[in-house]
Amino acid sequence: MSYATSMVAAVPVFGRMFKVESEAELEDINAWPAAMIMASFIWFFAAVLLGISLPLTQMLGLDASLFYTAITGHGAAMAFPFVFQLMMGVGLHRAAGCVGKPVSGWIPATAFWMMNIGALLFTIAILMGLKISYAVMYPLPVVGVETGQWSMTSLIIGFTGIAGILVTVIVLFPVQVIKMFFFDKEREELVLHRRKLSDPGMLGMAMAAFVLLIMGSPLLIVASAVLLGLYGILPFAWIPWATDPMVFQFVFYIFAHNLMEAMAIMIVSAVYATLPLYLADGTRQLYSNKLANLALWILLVTSVTSFFHHFYTMFPALPSALSYHGNIMSWGTGVGAAITIFTITMTIVKHGLRAEAGVMAVLMGFTLYILDGVSAIITSTVAWSYQLHGTMWQAGHTMAVLIAVAMMWMGVLLHHYPVITGRVLDKTRGMWFVILYTVGAMGLAYSFLAAGAAGMPRRFASWDQEGWMIYGYLILFFGLCMTLSMLIFFIDVSKARRINTGAEAAPAE
Amino acid sequence: MLEFIYQSGWGAFTMLLLFQIPFLLVFLTVIYRKAYVDTSASTITDAKISKLRGGWLTLVIALFLVINIVGIQYIPAIYTAKAANSSVAAVDVAIEAQSWSYDMSVREFEVGKPVRFNAVSLDTVHGFAVYHPGGRVLFTMMLVPGVGESSLIYTFNEPGTYKVRCLEYCGAAHHEMSDEIIVTEASS
Ligand SMILES: [Cu+2]
Repeated sequence: MSYATSMVAAVPVFGRMFKVESEAELEDINAWPAAMIMASFIWFFAAVLLGISLPLTQMLGLDASLFYTAITGHGAAMAFPFVFQLMMGVGLHRAAGCVGKPVSGWIPATAFWMMNIGALLFTIAILMGLKISYAVMYPLPVVGVETGQWSMTSLIIGFTGIAGILVTVIVLFPVQVIKMFFFDKEREELVLHRRKLSDPGMLGMAMAAFVLLIMGSPLLIVASAVLLGLYGILPFAWIPWATDPMVFQFVFYIFAHNLMEAMAIMIVSAVYATLPLYLADGTRQLYSNKLANLALWILLVTSVTSFFHHFYTMFPALPSALSYHGNIMSWGTGVGAAITIFTITMTIVKHGLRAEAGVMAVLMGFTLYILDGVSAIITSTVAWSYQLHGTMWQAGHTMAVLIAVAMMWMGVLLHHYPVITGRVLDKTRGMWFVILYTVGAMGLAYSFLAAGAAGMPRRFASWDQEGWMIYGYLILFFGLCMTLSMLIFFIDVSKARRINTGAEAAPAE
Repeated sequence: MLEFIYQSGWGAFTMLLLFQIPFLLVFLTVIYRKAYVDTSASTITDAKISKLRGGWLTLVIALFLVINIVGIQYIPAIYTAKAANSSVAAVDVAIEAQSWSYDMSVREFEVGKPVRFNAVSLDTVHGFAVYHPGGRVLFTMMLVPGVGESSLIYTFNEPGTYKVRCLEYCGAAHHEMSDEIIVTEASS
């Protein structure tokens, strides 16, 4: 038994949900992914509680600092140690099983520890008073120290934590993927379902790895320089190029925007891989691989430079030519999405569907993802951006894309769960999870978007103005729906039944 | 109508629903029918599929073009340039944002007179959003310190008290960072 496997088994409550009891020879593609998946759900649990506390602090009229503490923790936990880590765990397992390469050694281990210790350090900093939202809002972290809102120590601990997370997201995860796809030696016994790189179910994974590595590097360099400055190793006089607010904002959004796009490209790819396994007539093929890959290429090219949409409202500090470019590129991602919609719909129309929890979660997650895509291109249209930027619309968009991507990965996880853990799940519970999660996620998204349309600001600890509290009640209600769906999911994975060796074969992929 | 669609949050919401509802209806119906009603493989021909594909992509490209081309006139850079070139001189307002208040050189304006808002931040990232007395956002600007002014020309067409709010999270009292603008009837 590997060290990752025994660690998972030793964790109370969450350990039994994801402990690996599968065949020993698959240990090298199961152990670290299971650890990442387990850790991601611990963070999800914390993030959901913090999320529920946000409307509560407003309804109970609690201190604004509680709200800003909770929102910083909630956003950070959702985006990185939950969604990204879940994607990393499920994605690495899936990719490894397609190319027959191990997910073992120091890279996945370091990725796991850097992500979780980093997130833990950031959490400690938040509890010490660092309230900068997950978007950091640079130069706010430094200004907050100067104005006595939080301490220098909390800033140093927080930035150290963020650095750990960034190293995992920008370097370790992409390097592991690239290593598996292009280098390591194949091990026959690890191949679960062989796929080539040209397969739509693989291509997106490779694209995403390169996007993260390339688009993230500038942020890594700037953030490292700032961190070394904070440690006192580099004098700040040497690094004005890194501490300049505009530089930091640009490298941050070039990364953060493309992180979301990379996760989207990767999950669309995983949908392309998973859907064919559930077709009623047993075809196991998309209606068109070419069209599927075309959509991925369009998404890749258009998403890279659409990040300008984060800056439209600073005109003329952002030249209008770059605004138009961001506008058109953002709509271009919509063309990629339209092609994906067509491919998926036509595949289902042609071959019929076996309604199981895994594929239903994937398809409902995809539905949420497309609905959210519409809200994204609307707020990325220059004219609308001036009414929506900084409102709950954008909070809703960010949240919806994260919960849509999370749901698709949970669907893919439900599919791979028997192979990873050696246990099978209950179908009824799976369906209830899918239904409640979908209702909760859609309700949340519409509540946020309507609040944004009504002008309610995001990250704003005073909801009791202009009648905005009504949106707070809606958010609380649908947030509780999602909490319930998550509890059903946790019960489902806790009570999974052991596969009788040989009697019930694990689904192959 | 176009003014409502392109110049208000609820207009954006209307556009959102115009896209989302047809998608939801068609996609969920397909899933429901093919998963629960009739799961058998369909006899749809390749010719029919490529026709549908052509139609779908044409529709997508047409919407892409129409919505963006019609929207050009509502882009602040465009209406600002138009107002700057008109014969009516704009009133200049200098705004300095600093945690957690605004310093504005003028706070009272007249209906129908273009106003050029030039705003900077002195410390961290702030916003400068002007709200219609009815509660909707008229426009917001993001102010990043050290990069120069964010600027646009806006012409008020109703008298009243307009709220100003910061829409970029800026620390402990972010939600208290607000101000007011008074717009009066035209004097002449
Ligand atoms: Cu502010």
